[in-house]
Amino acid sequence: MPGILAKAAAKAFPKSLWLYHCNSGACNGCDIEILNVLTPYYDVERFGLKLVGSPRHADVMLLSGAVTRPTLPLVKRAYEAMPAPKLVFGIGSCAAGGGCWFDTYNVAGGGATAVPVDYLIPGCPPRPEAIIYGVALALGLVPQKAAPVELKQVEFPIDAYLRNKAWEERNVIYKLIKD
Amino acid sequence: MSTNRIISSLRAEFGEAVRGSSSPAAGRLLVDLDRSRLREAARFLINRGGRYQVGVGADERDRTQTFGLIHFFAFDRERFSIGLRTAAPASDPTFDSITPDIPSAGWTEREFRDLLGMRFPGHPKPKKLITADDWPDGIYPLRKDVPYNLVPPSTADVAYQLDEAPPGTTIVPVGPFHATLHEPAHFAVYVDGETIKHCDYRGFMAHRGIEKLCQTQVSYNEVPFIAERICGICGSVHSVAYCQAVEMAAGLSISRRAEFIRVVCLELERLHSHLLLIGVAGHLIGFDTVFMHAWRIREQVMWLSEKMTGNRKTYGMVVIGGVRRDITPEMKDEIFAVLKNLEAEIASFHKAVAGDSSIHGRTKGVGKVPTEEVVLWSLLGPVARGRGVDIDARRDFPYAAYDEIAFDVPVTTDGDVWGTIVVRLLELFESIKIIRQALDKMPSGPVLTEYGEALPAFRTGWSIVEAPRGESFHYVLTGEENRPERWRVRAPTYTNLQGIPRMLRDNQFADFPIILGSIDPCFSCTDRVAVVDRRSGRKRVWTKSEMDRLSRSRS
Repeated sequence: MPGILAKAAAKAFPKSLWLYHCNSGACNGCDIEILNVLTPYYDVERFGLKLVGSPRHADVMLLSGAVTRPTLPLVKRAYEAMPAPKLVFGIGSCAAGGGCWFDTYNVAGGGATAVPVDYLIPGCPPRPEAIIYGVALALGLVPQKAAPVELKQVEFPIDAYLRNKAWEERNVIYKLIKD
Repeated sequence: MSTNRIISSLRAEFGEAVRGSSSPAAGRLLVDLDRSRLREAARFLINRGGRYQVGVGADERDRTQTFGLIHFFAFDRERFSIGLRTAAPASDPTFDSITPDIPSAGWTEREFRDLLGMRFPGHPKPKKLITADDWPDGIYPLRKDVPYNLVPPSTADVAYQLDEAPPGTTIVPVGPFHATLHEPAHFAVYVDGETIKHCDYRGFMAHRGIEKLCQTQVSYNEVPFIAERICGICGSVHSVAYCQAVEMAAGLSISRRAEFIRVVCLELERLHSHLLLIGVAGHLIGFDTVFMHAWRIREQVMWLSEKMTGNRKTYGMVVIGGVRRDITPEMKDEIFAVLKNLEAEIASFHKAVAGDSSIHGRTKGVGKVPTEEVVLWSLLGPVARGRGVDIDARRDFPYAAYDEIAFDVPVTTDGDVWGTIVVRLLELFESIKIIRQALDKMPSGPVLTEYGEALPAFRTGWSIVEAPRGESFHYVLTGEENRPERWRVRAPTYTNLQGIPRMLRDNQFADFPIILGSIDPCFSCTDRVAVVDRRSGRKRVWTKSEMDRLSRSRS
């Protein structure tokens, strides 16, 4: 329902959007493209978008990278610190579904494992144009050109119940091996 | 000292404890050693001018019922690298710690304590490094009986196990969502007034278990694509280093043209990485004009990379056996045109930065480390070259096509943050020179040599590649199932970060971001296996914005 969200976003965020950039375990690729949209060629400040240092000042969280096991509680905490109404953008493949390491021992999954992600901007890394387009689309600054697509990766990340169950099953395997 | 002489002197010194030696390639040496003499042998090599590179631990219980450990040392002047290989029985994986003699080995030993359950009696700081503080004891993820996707449940609130504060100091926690670059890592800075006395690091939050993933799940030629994603900046560095290590282990030789194309990729990466860092350094001291200009100039390199490789980050280019895309004559002309423009822009940028008194004021005399201590901590890359240590893997351990290319290695003796910036500025011109030569000297021929048969198993290879931040080290032991048995990555930040407490000591707290920034830290590389603390309840908590404000208000 991006259409409705866009309308809601236009109402909730009529003025400049302040962005908080949260790296939950990314490889730097997406982070650099996020910084890149601030520099002279892309210059998003002309749309009133501004990167801020603290989540308490932010309207939008730009989440990059797979959420790793140690950063999971920290990302949640940063999200709680943001004043409502707030939006979360998952930037890049890792934030979408955990990327190529979505199930390794120190990775909790994609961005949605930690916080509700409203928009995903895919790519590895997404081009600066893609990031600007994604944000502009969410704000209703540009018309949507693509039809909604059902993403496979939406099935991931597993919710807490399944995760605990999977953990228990794995532990049984581990114990068997150990014995 | 040649490889033969070092072997004979090791044999003379340690006699029966040296069980054998082999040389998997020119300039590479492996010495099998009894584990009881490990610490003495390591000290022996350091005293003869060796530089500690990294240790590689492996679970070899299925083949030899042992845990293996190799410590690597580089002899930069003599152009060879030597590995001391030891093993301990599975029932008692204990090795003498070499950290009391070689401080830069500290993290290696802590890493294998976490990931393999090895023990290092005598280690000055036997604490967790890689795994989180709530990681359960007894689960060692790199051991073969632990599945790669075993995620232990975590606790909600994790208290970091940090050093005791030295008397008279206050702890300032910085991070994990962070002041310098946008990567998670926690620093506890111990200050006396405004002066930093000590610093403890709790990072490895972007540790994604890449080594385990690649040792258990994928095949040889899929690893380069994951290796590139260890780091979003030095992608080609990691894929080239991995591919060279596999090629060395398997004895594959690749076409000369492919080697030249690899050089072009690596140098393009150096260009955009150095511009990025100089821009970020400007940003950290509140001089955003430098940031904007550096990144404006940098953007041309990104566009060029995209035309050349299909991705803005030179991804998807390097595979085992060569590269995937050729440089066409039209592409070559275009690269020359961009380089010409770039050279002019960098020259005027260099002039502006080099003569700016406010940059001098913030970087000169900051983060000073004397040359002897740089050697002691095995610092790498521009961080070492800016402090008078003349090492560069491109010249000392020529790989790809660097042996045919003439270039200078800029070294300054300033010993401070300013020196590292000067070195990076000068290296930009060297990179342009290297790309021009590579394009001119490139012979014609195929770009990909496909290997037909399965690669031989249990051969060793290690490659050293000069990343923009310093030396990257990849070790590969080939395996039986069309994938590496063991793959170890050591990024330059892994070593340079260990020297950060030394660089910070007796500096002003407001200089913390620029000193940390000056090593061009890349936590994702370091953590491969990658500052918010608003609620920790410690004595004083700084948010990033406060930190930025403080940092900028000094200018």
